Amino acid sequence: MITRIVPQLLKQLFSRVATNPFPAVHMPPSLTEVMNNPDAPLSPPVPVGKRFRGRLSYDRSKCIGCRLCIKVCPANATEYLPGEKKIVIHNDRCCFCAQCTEICPVKCLKMGSEYMISSYERRANVVTDTGPAPETRQA
Amino acid sequence: MISVFILFLKIFAGMPLLALVVLLALLFEGADRIVNAKMQRRYGPPLLQPVYDILKLMGKENIVPRRASRFFFMTAPWLTLVTTLMIFLYIPTGSFPPVLGTEGDMVLIVYLLAMSGLLMAVGGFASGNPLASIGAGREITLMMSYEFPLAIVVCTMAWVAHRLGLPGEPFSLEPFAAVSVWKAVGKTGVMGLICLFLSLVLVVPGELGKGPMDIPEAKTEILDGLIIEYSGVNLALFKLTFALRSFAMATFMTALFVPVSLGSLLGVSGFIVAIFDFIFFWAKVLVVQMIFVTLMRTMFGRLKIWQASQFYIMKVAGLSIAGMILLSIDVIAR
Amino acid sequence: MSTTYTIPVGPVHVGLKEPITAWLELEGERIVNARVRPGAIHRGIEFMARERNPIQVIYLSERICGICSFSHVICFIRAVEDLAQMNVPVRGQYIRSLVLELERVHSHLLWSGVACYTIGFDSAFHLGMQMRERVMDVLELLSGNRVNYGVATFGGVRWDVTPELEKALRGMVRYYRQEFTPFREIVMEDPVAQARMRNVGVLTRDEAVRYSAVGPTARASGLRIDLRKSSPYEAYADFDVEPVVPQDYFGEAHGDVLDRFAVRVLEVYQSLDIIEKILDGLPEGPFVEEANLNKVMASLKKADGTGWGIIEAPRGDDTHIVSLKGGVDNVLWWKVRAPTYANAVSWPIMFRGNELADAPLIINSIDPCISCMERMLVTDEREYRSEVVTRSELVKRSRQKTFELGSLKSKYVPGGGAEQ
Repeated sequence: MITRIVPQLLKQLFSRVATNPFPAVHMPPSLTEVMNNPDAPLSPPVPVGKRFRGRLSYDRSKCIGCRLCIKVCPANATEYLPGEKKIVIHNDRCCFCAQCTEICPVKCLKMGSEYMISSYERRANVVTDTGPAPETRQA
Repeated sequence: MISVFILFLKIFAGMPLLALVVLLALLFEGADRIVNAKMQRRYGPPLLQPVYDILKLMGKENIVPRRASRFFFMTAPWLTLVTTLMIFLYIPTGSFPPVLGTEGDMVLIVYLLAMSGLLMAVGGFASGNPLASIGAGREITLMMSYEFPLAIVVCTMAWVAHRLGLPGEPFSLEPFAAVSVWKAVGKTGVMGLICLFLSLVLVVPGELGKGPMDIPEAKTEILDGLIIEYSGVNLALFKLTFALRSFAMATFMTALFVPVSLGSLLGVSGFIVAIFDFIFFWAKVLVVQMIFVTLMRTMFGRLKIWQASQFYIMKVAGLSIAGMILLSIDVIAR
Repeated sequence: MSTTYTIPVGPVHVGLKEPITAWLELEGERIVNARVRPGAIHRGIEFMARERNPIQVIYLSERICGICSFSHVICFIRAVEDLAQMNVPVRGQYIRSLVLELERVHSHLLWSGVACYTIGFDSAFHLGMQMRERVMDVLELLSGNRVNYGVATFGGVRWDVTPELEKALRGMVRYYRQEFTPFREIVMEDPVAQARMRNVGVLTRDEAVRYSAVGPTARASGLRIDLRKSSPYEAYADFDVEPVVPQDYFGEAHGDVLDRFAVRVLEVYQSLDIIEKILDGLPEGPFVEEANLNKVMASLKKADGTGWGIIEAPRGDDTHIVSLKGGVDNVLWWKVRAPTYANAVSWPIMFRGNELADAPLIINSIDPCISCMERMLVTDEREYRSEVVTRSELVKRSRQKTFELGSLKSKYVPGGGAEQ
């Protein structure tokens, strides 16, 4: 009758909940409104690690148009603009392998820590230029 | 003629009780889910989630499968619910006697429990789905296995109450509410009572289809078996029935084996005390349900049908017979 | 009363995590006949690889399976390294073994949880999943991601093990040493779990040999096979890995689901030991042979031939065969043989004499990865039909296709491994 799990269950009954909370306790009337409102009382997301690979940023001015990133991208997320010798990144296709940031000779590509990137608009995930990376801007 | 009139009056008086019972059953179901979740270190649903579920399902369409036998498919949920609700008219709550105390007794409670289980199986068979048929078949098999120990428990208790001369009608639940059966018997009798209590505890999961005996509804095997084809209002009725059955079993166990009342503890009586007793009774039910339904269903996996059947027919029946013999010795010897 | 009726388990079923169908012929609750029909999740990954160069295919191979993603990557990379004769520095090998073992821990923990869920033991399932979070956190710290790590590359690994990470790893090993034993006791000493798993889905030793079961499924039947012992790869030669077989721990091997559970659980302990040994003996030095990807790409373009990679994935041995052609960027062809493919053959044997209630558990007991397994599906879109080809027909068609691919006509020796 009393098996090994009973003390464990009773211990767990009074210990902290192990799961992460949902962003909101109840489904809000309008989800988009809450997502767009920065002051909405949402449970904070779990912080990401140091090596986390999130949304790509692209420094257009630095890019030399060598097309190496296109060569290594497994998901065909980078598109070459032959006229301008620059690229466009489709973040909705990106598989976040960080291979392009590794091969880029001028390091104009960088993985950020942003991961909530889904959007109703496809164009929101097309990166043409995000300017110099934050570190270089500070320096 | 007059007796029929009185019966109707009683049923009418029982209506508020039934409304309360439905509400409490759903609340206790919510509490059960929260405690279950907390034991597994989850947040769990809100307390009112079962109420939301029922309300939502009530607004949805009933879908009848093409191969189902329509009449039985549609009537089974209603009949199940009604039979389950009727149980509460025969159980004393606190110091209040059962509403229909003079019209039925413990045997009727056992009958009603079996009836609602049987009607669920009828609904399953009527679905025309092979998985539902398997579920219904399992329900019947399980029922045949646990009814025997349950009958022994009930009959022994009734006989003991009668022999000890507890006040009230034989086979009625009233005597157990008035006098603690634990104090009325000797040492051998207490051992027998423990055996009977344990048998009843082990019968409960089978009766409810929960815990190690959730075989008729086995989610990962036959995809909720019995109720696989039910939707909308019918499903709401089944959900309500499941909640009510858990509640009924907890209430039955409380009424039979946990007769502690505030009035007898403090040695006072009166109408106010009776009201408090009424509340205290439901608190007892909650505790009983948390321990013997929630903990039980959280701590075990699921048995196979032949294992469950064997368990009831061999072990639980043996335990209840042992309890019966011990109690008989005690009662006859005095 | 000998009327039988047929019940499908799957393709979408609560007890199964991936789409596969088992048509069970039942007599009451008893299974008299079983037919397993895969084919619901074929994605044509090998074909996709033919439009990509080996560096791109690393990330494609990662997506063959979500659980053993790193095993497939290492297997693919080893096949390419085999044909291109690349070296891996010792530190790189150690880190690869480390991630492989971490993956084994999380795969086995996930499986133990799912097995408990299949028998309705939800509390143990939640406990297992909760325990798995720790190794997932460590993997996230190591690679940045929880599932597709992207750690390995040709000639080594992409990320080093820092002192901070080593501390986290040691903390994880300590945590599991302390917390995992209660979980094992909870499940393996539970009377209900024992009743459900003992003598269910039995695969005897002889049958395991005859139907070429691999990995934990074979080891649970008492076969001492483990590629980490018999043909050590990466850093495993340094650790003396002994195959975990139930007869060493319980006296005899039943070959049932409980034994498979025991083997996987005991392998978690073994993996923890190996992780500790890796951390103790982690050599200094570079962790990748050639950091410049352009040079790697250039050398891969020149590479020509067929290479093999065989490793012990958490589910059994995983085989990749890759062929590259000199002067061509893309992979010429690539063949994946996932462990589930070998183990799935045993399903009908395991079903024999069991009940409907056991069916999902038996399907789950070999830790099936249907997405890994489904490498081929014959369909004809023009006529809207799918067919099952016989073995001889398949061999004939395969040979024909191989000849069509040309250039391999003279070089490819069946079963010969890397030539030249």
